[in-house]
Amino acid sequence: MKDSKSVLVVGGGIAGIQASLDAADRGFKVYLVEKTPSIGGRMAQLDKTFPTMDCSICILAPKMAECYRHSNITLLTYSEVQDAKGSIGNFEVAVLKKARHVKEDKCVGCGICTEKCPVKVPNEFEMGLADRKAIYMPFPQAVPRLTTIDEENCLFFQKGTCRVCEKLCEAGAIDFDEKPEEIVLNVDAIILATGFDVFNPKAITAYGYGKYKNVITAMELERLICASGPTDGYILRPSDGKEPESVVFIQCVGSRDQRYNPYCSSICCKYAIKDAVLIREHHPEIDTYVFYIDLRAFGKGFQEFANRSKEEYGINYIRSNPGEIREDPITQDLTIWYEDTLTRTIKPLTVGLVVLCTASIPRPDNKKLSELIGVELDDLGFFRASHDIDHPVDLTVPGVYGCGFCLGPRVGDIPHSVMQAGAAVARMSEELAGMEEA
Amino acid sequence: MKYAFFIGCLVPARELSYEFAARKILPTLDVELVDMHGANCCAPFGIQSLDYISWLALATRNLCIAEEMGLDILALCSDCYESLLMTNTILKENSDIKGQVNEVLSEIGKEFKGEIEIKHMIDVLYEDVGPEKIKNAVVTPLTDLKVATQPGCHLVRPKMLHFGSVGGYDELDELVRATGAEVIDYDGKEICCGGPIRDTFDKYSRSLINQKIKAMKKANVDCAVTICPFCFLQLDLGQREIQTRFKEELNLPIFHFPELLSIALGFKLTDPQIRDHRISINHILEKYNGYEVSS
Amino acid sequence: MSKSEDTESRTHDSSHDTKLMHIVAHTPRGKGILDCIQCGRCTSSCPMARQTSRYNPRRLMEMITIGLKEEVLSNTPWYCLSCFTCVDKCPQGADVGEVIFAIRNIAAREGHIPPGIKAQGGNIIDTGKISNPTKSILKQRQEMGLPEIEPSDTEELLKILRKTGFDKIIGHK
Repeated sequence: MKDSKSVLVVGGGIAGIQASLDAADRGFKVYLVEKTPSIGGRMAQLDKTFPTMDCSICILAPKMAECYRHSNITLLTYSEVQDAKGSIGNFEVAVLKKARHVKEDKCVGCGICTEKCPVKVPNEFEMGLADRKAIYMPFPQAVPRLTTIDEENCLFFQKGTCRVCEKLCEAGAIDFDEKPEEIVLNVDAIILATGFDVFNPKAITAYGYGKYKNVITAMELERLICASGPTDGYILRPSDGKEPESVVFIQCVGSRDQRYNPYCSSICCKYAIKDAVLIREHHPEIDTYVFYIDLRAFGKGFQEFANRSKEEYGINYIRSNPGEIREDPITQDLTIWYEDTLTRTIKPLTVGLVVLCTASIPRPDNKKLSELIGVELDDLGFFRASHDIDHPVDLTVPGVYGCGFCLGPRVGDIPHSVMQAGAAVARMSEELAGMEEA
Repeated sequence: MKYAFFIGCLVPARELSYEFAARKILPTLDVELVDMHGANCCAPFGIQSLDYISWLALATRNLCIAEEMGLDILALCSDCYESLLMTNTILKENSDIKGQVNEVLSEIGKEFKGEIEIKHMIDVLYEDVGPEKIKNAVVTPLTDLKVATQPGCHLVRPKMLHFGSVGGYDELDELVRATGAEVIDYDGKEICCGGPIRDTFDKYSRSLINQKIKAMKKANVDCAVTICPFCFLQLDLGQREIQTRFKEELNLPIFHFPELLSIALGFKLTDPQIRDHRISINHILEKYNGYEVSS
Repeated sequence: MSKSEDTESRTHDSSHDTKLMHIVAHTPRGKGILDCIQCGRCTSSCPMARQTSRYNPRRLMEMITIGLKEEVLSNTPWYCLSCFTCVDKCPQGADVGEVIFAIRNIAAREGHIPPGIKAQGGNIIDTGKISNPTKSILKQRQEMGLPEIEPSDTEELLKILRKTGFDKIIGHK
């Protein structure tokens, strides 16, 4: 018999963090598994949150730290679920802890290793807009606060040379011999919180993403506009590092599109309003345009925020789904051809930077988890609820719950992810208590 | 590789050099062409605009002829290709429409069975022959020749209605590169030549030609390559019309792709072929020794 | 651009035919009309819409749904290039370029056919082809050693086209 109930939470974004904290506060023993080196997820990458314009990391970082400190939470970062069996009240889950090659109990996060590492690779956290090293901390507020060696790019693992980090580390934390470790956990319940991926807009060739440097995605813009991002919060174009005179947001790129993702991603209109306002706050001289099909600013405070963005910040809204973007090969400015469907005029608009608000799509990992745990996916690849109305956070296997965007584009924003996390923990407690009574 | 050769109406009536070059080079690349006896017009967009079943019945009559020959069809014209491909696909996919069309064709004792496939010359050159084989057959590589390709609409669209999203233009570009020439990108490559409205709205048709030629010239190409008689007519004859009408010197040579391939494979263009061009191609022929001096 | 081209389409003085959308939706190429969400991607991509404000495929789809039959069946659909860029770009699979053919077919039955298209139809009935060689071309073919052009079996074609009613549509005697 176990002393207290336990839960495995998969995914260390805001939904998984909140579910872990809520469960831990209720006395559950929590194992929070995160596949990247740090918890934080998408929310850590955002600059501000809509519609209140709160600093995203300022809300998130204390929660991350609390996860680390909480006596009921075991953080398993850089780890992935390998196998699962059993049923509610008695799941056996195998978790593979990948070799970080940096000892958790020794590294103090001083950063000397990162500074001296000679290998540069695109920084995932900065959406490739900056480089990181082969030994790295994903971002300054990372939890746990320690570095990780990325074997695929490390000179030692690839060519058997270098070992500079090992020589310089005063704490003696570097361990090239560390092997991956499999941990078997016995848990009463599982909460899945795998979040979302960003649709790659290269598929829509007419918009030229990947071909034109100044066509970027909204996640990339989040890093550009962030004061701790690669440009210190200045909007600078990837092509020449200069400030654009105008910025365009295009909605529904790969969402509400029968060929890619038929659904509305539910967050893009709102973050585009937020980002456009942020641009005007940082650079009042930059003109901003939002191309939309239907401006879906539903929810508490959003329509008001949209209205303010027009009236106070002078954001231009154009009801159109542009047909194509062309680049001027000399200036690298971009010309967008569009019909203003409200005035029925067809014209080009030339701007310095285009931001594609791309669909939020299911993580590919969902498929593997669904196979291991036995929960169903919906037609889109998100986790299917056992009943969308009665039990919206219960998945199709008893004792397994979901929260956040991995449930699909319901209301995929942060407050709703937090709510769903609470709901998942409440449902789990209820069902496990029911088992005891029976 | 043996195909029923669907020549269409426009090519044999107006673009003899295209036909001549295709008949010459395809066999040398082991593609055998068998002429289709009694074929009628493919029923392109103009006819499609008038009546759905009439379109399908006219196109299907041609398909039946190829079925009787037991051969897949090779089309030179993108409009023929589109009409025949769409018809073949619709009838294979929809038994109700197939029934309606076969009822019409029973009047002349023909029946669509669904036994053949439709290919554009470019499909055959790319899939059956392949750029590698062409590269190996080249005797006069068209080195330093900067080419704008005009893939046109109906080779690439609207195939997606039945075959999912189609990427586009890589096949033609790769075949042009196989001749040793360089393919240069230009603005509006995917845009229509204006051919379909040549008779109905000539002003806009000309404006589309003008924009296309200007974009090609802006990209500093030596010539452009087409794979559709309508595109050729527009870019070549249409270009001369613009030159005459607006006293504007454009002078961008336009080639049918098989002509360019001929030169690369060592066949010189003949006098009547060269006369088919309203915009002079002579300086390019001289550079690549592609001009056969008539006796 | 001329003054008349800039004027708004004449929506106010036309009667609304609420059945139009259903008629279009029930033709083989017109189903897409039901999927249109009026996002404007078609018009934003349309090469013809950039030449003249008289042609706007999104507006044409809107006019079908509203039932502005007179505008829809007048010369508007004949501006379409049939380049199918809209079909390629439409995020909803509304196949705008296909719907154009559906309404052209309806227009043709009501007698709205541009002369050039009507001539193509006549040529098919008379010769089996829409484009026929001139005498000098025939001579040039000989000179080049190209095979003779076979005449089409116009009797057979006439049987087909009478059966489909094509001859009546184009008013061929």
